[in-house]
Amino acid sequence: MSGPGVGWYLIVAAALFGIGSLGVMLRRSPLIVLLSLEIMLNGANLALIAFARQVGDLDGQIFALAVMAVAAAEVAIGLGLIVAMARRDMALDVDQASALRG
Amino acid sequence: MVAGAWICLLAPLGGALAITLLGPWISRRAAGYVSTLTTFLAFAGALIAFFGLWSRDAHDREQLSTAYTWLAAGDFQVGMEILVDPLSTVMMLVVSGVGGLIVWYSMGYMAGDDEERRFFAYMSLFVFSMLLLVQAGNFLLLLVGWGLVGLASYLLIGFWHKRPEAVAAAKKAFVMNAIGDATFALAIVLLIWSTGTLEFSAVFEGVDGLSSTAVNLVALGLLGGAVAKSAQIPLHTWLPDAMEGPTPVSALIHAATMVTAGVYLLVRAHPIFEAAPDIQSLAAILGAVTLLVAGLVALVQWDIKRVIAYSTMSQIGYMFLGAGIGAYGFAIFHLMTHAFFKALLFLTAGVVIHHLSDEQDIRRMGGLKSALPRTHVAFLIGTVALVGLPPFAGFWSKDAIVASALARGDALGWTLFVAGLLGVLLTGAYSFRLYFAVFHGKRVTVTQQTGDSHHAQHGEGPMSMLVPVGILAVLSAIGGLLYIPGVWHPFTHWIEETGEPLVEATTGQDYLTSAISVALGIAGILLARRAFQLDRQLVTMPSAWRVFEHKLYFDELYDALFYRPGAALANALRRRVEEPVIEGSLDEIGSGTIFASGGLARVQSGLLRTYALAIAFSVCVLIVVFVAVR
Amino acid sequence: MWIVWFLAAGACLGSGIAVVSMTNPFYSALALIGNLASLAVLYLLLAAEFLAAAQVLVYAGAVMVMFVFVIAYLGGRADAPWAGGSPVMQTAAVVAAVALLVEVVVVLGLAWGDELKDPAQVSDSFGSPAAIGELFLTDHLLAFEITSIVLLVAAIGGVVLGTTHEKGRP
Repeated sequence: MSGPGVGWYLIVAAALFGIGSLGVMLRRSPLIVLLSLEIMLNGANLALIAFARQVGDLDGQIFALAVMAVAAAEVAIGLGLIVAMARRDMALDVDQASALRG
Repeated sequence: MVAGAWICLLAPLGGALAITLLGPWISRRAAGYVSTLTTFLAFAGALIAFFGLWSRDAHDREQLSTAYTWLAAGDFQVGMEILVDPLSTVMMLVVSGVGGLIVWYSMGYMAGDDEERRFFAYMSLFVFSMLLLVQAGNFLLLLVGWGLVGLASYLLIGFWHKRPEAVAAAKKAFVMNAIGDATFALAIVLLIWSTGTLEFSAVFEGVDGLSSTAVNLVALGLLGGAVAKSAQIPLHTWLPDAMEGPTPVSALIHAATMVTAGVYLLVRAHPIFEAAPDIQSLAAILGAVTLLVAGLVALVQWDIKRVIAYSTMSQIGYMFLGAGIGAYGFAIFHLMTHAFFKALLFLTAGVVIHHLSDEQDIRRMGGLKSALPRTHVAFLIGTVALVGLPPFAGFWSKDAIVASALARGDALGWTLFVAGLLGVLLTGAYSFRLYFAVFHGKRVTVTQQTGDSHHAQHGEGPMSMLVPVGILAVLSAIGGLLYIPGVWHPFTHWIEETGEPLVEATTGQDYLTSAISVALGIAGILLARRAFQLDRQLVTMPSAWRVFEHKLYFDELYDALFYRPGAALANALRRRVEEPVIEGSLDEIGSGTIFASGGLARVQSGLLRTYALAIAFSVCVLIVVFVAVR
Repeated sequence: MWIVWFLAAGACLGSGIAVVSMTNPFYSALALIGNLASLAVLYLLLAAEFLAAAQVLVYAGAVMVMFVFVIAYLGGRADAPWAGGSPVMQTAAVVAAVALLVEVVVVLGLAWGDELKDPAQVSDSFGSPAAIGELFLTDHLLAFEITSIVLLVAAIGGVVLGTTHEKGRP
């Protein structure tokens, strides 16, 4: 393969992860937080697959596949929560959803 | 034969357990029967053991029987083993025989008391404990019996627990005995350390190999225990107070058996004392001092039971004197005769008290000769036996001890001899002072006082009280005839196998001593009679009277020396240490925890974004750590 | 190769930033679809054909459709202004993200010469569905089963979250 080495992919993956974490920490709408979460997961997936290619072992890709499945499940539940919140006329604001305060 | 010994030991225990477990389902009288019958069963067992031993050869008279090995640590082993030998069989017979008679008596005396069952359970417990003490085959089991009799004594002195004086007296007895127990235990530890065993024969063989400091310390520790248990000076102050207990208790525990445990220990452990002759002489000296001091104090007491208590203290002084100079056989002989006549005195005093609805002050007694004729005869027999006039029991035993002191010959021997004779004079004086005060003189009117309802019976008492008294009177009369100097010595020969006496009086010395002591005894009696006829007291000097009445101020001395500093220290510690530091620290821990948890709770803001931020930071830090470690 | 990579990587990062910064959630969702697509291209470059296909099918196809459905349901309520919150927290967040990136770059730099030199030689069937399937059903069977359970649980959870009670309570 004459493309970029695995290091470049890893930088992209790290950047994706950082962008996603910024979104999680700085946005108030749970919807956007979920989307940012997806970006983070995808960053991790990219790293896994890059390493799988580097090492020549398919286990990394298997891992990434499992991550995808779990991410899908998590999104389903998260969206269900958001819908439930909306149904109860709660404000869609993570700062206001602080019922777990100690 | 060994089975007899085991029956003797375990029957009273069975009785105590039966009464305890059956509790309210048996009647009060039934409890009394259980206790009495098991004690007499023990006596039967003791007889079997005694005759079994007697039928054996003289050299074969030491039987050890182990039930099981209780403690084994390395080379050190100690077991539940009982020893059947001449000394222990004599003690078994005395304890179970006299004990049986007293328990029988108390069926009548304690009848009607609400807590009769508890009383008989405790009495059986005591009999078991005392038998364990005398039958123990090693020092540890002896200590167990020792402690158990102390417990039984505490329980029985404080039997009428609603009386604060009784409770205080019980505590006093227990604490003072605990001092002796402590020295005893230390001696045992020293024995384990130096000889590696606690079994009697093994220890006694190993005694020669010990350094003199070790042997002296062991002997001192044993002596401390004996002094406390037998109420000798300086650990004697508990015995007069112990008269708060019911009269049968005073008879059994504080006259006939428990207080003689010290003497038994001195005789049993005589090889140790012989290897520490200074301590042995100390025992004799303490005995002599006690017998004189107790005799003096008895001259001024007004309570009938306290006079008899001091008399006990004095007579045990004689036994200590005997054991201290090595006259082991005579010491045990006096123990036995003393058990007879002292129990007799207490029991008859109990009849008098019973008759007068709990009156114990002799100033309010008098002229009871006609009201209680049989009691009067019994009391007189007991008193004469106590003073030591022939042919009654005390004569043979007490004079033998004093004669042994004479036979010893050196300065200590002469001092002890004189002390012993003076003691006879005092004994005659105080005992007949008591006798005249109670039975002669103006007939006292029996006013109905507010005693316990069950003591309101007048007359001499039921058969259960009279028959034991009668038996004891007979024993006090003829019991001494087991030793007639120059003629017949079965008793001392029997005991000799356990302990060879260190001194032997010649027949001449024996008769000389007897003559002098009889003369002194009669002199004391005449003094008492004279004082009674003149309606005066024997001690006229007011300062002397005060000193004796306050028991030579021992109680006050101990109060100042031990109690006050101890109480002050305890109070100071409570104020300075317990409240601020210990309680305070507990409070601080509590409030500190609440404070900290309040602080920590603020971390849980419930805001998702804060948590995410925290996680992100942690990840950064962790990455640095991981990389750095590589 | 490099050109493709640059284009795909650029699209990836750009759409990522777009997801995070848009106020209209619908636009964010669309940006995410773009992100997923560019990622699929990157996967192809990394010889992960099956995964690229799965990415497009599952992620871009199913997951994003779910998102769009919910956004549609929420309508105006889904409007998402930028967050408030203390400026300290905001700077801290930015610092954390940047630190993360910097650390990764540093680590990579340290290891660039040695471990990240040459990728391993792989056969043509590397990343093919057959290879993935074989691995999944033999070595990683447990992961396979557990993943299916996770999905089942998610389905049940979604139903539970979505049920209404008869009396009209949502």
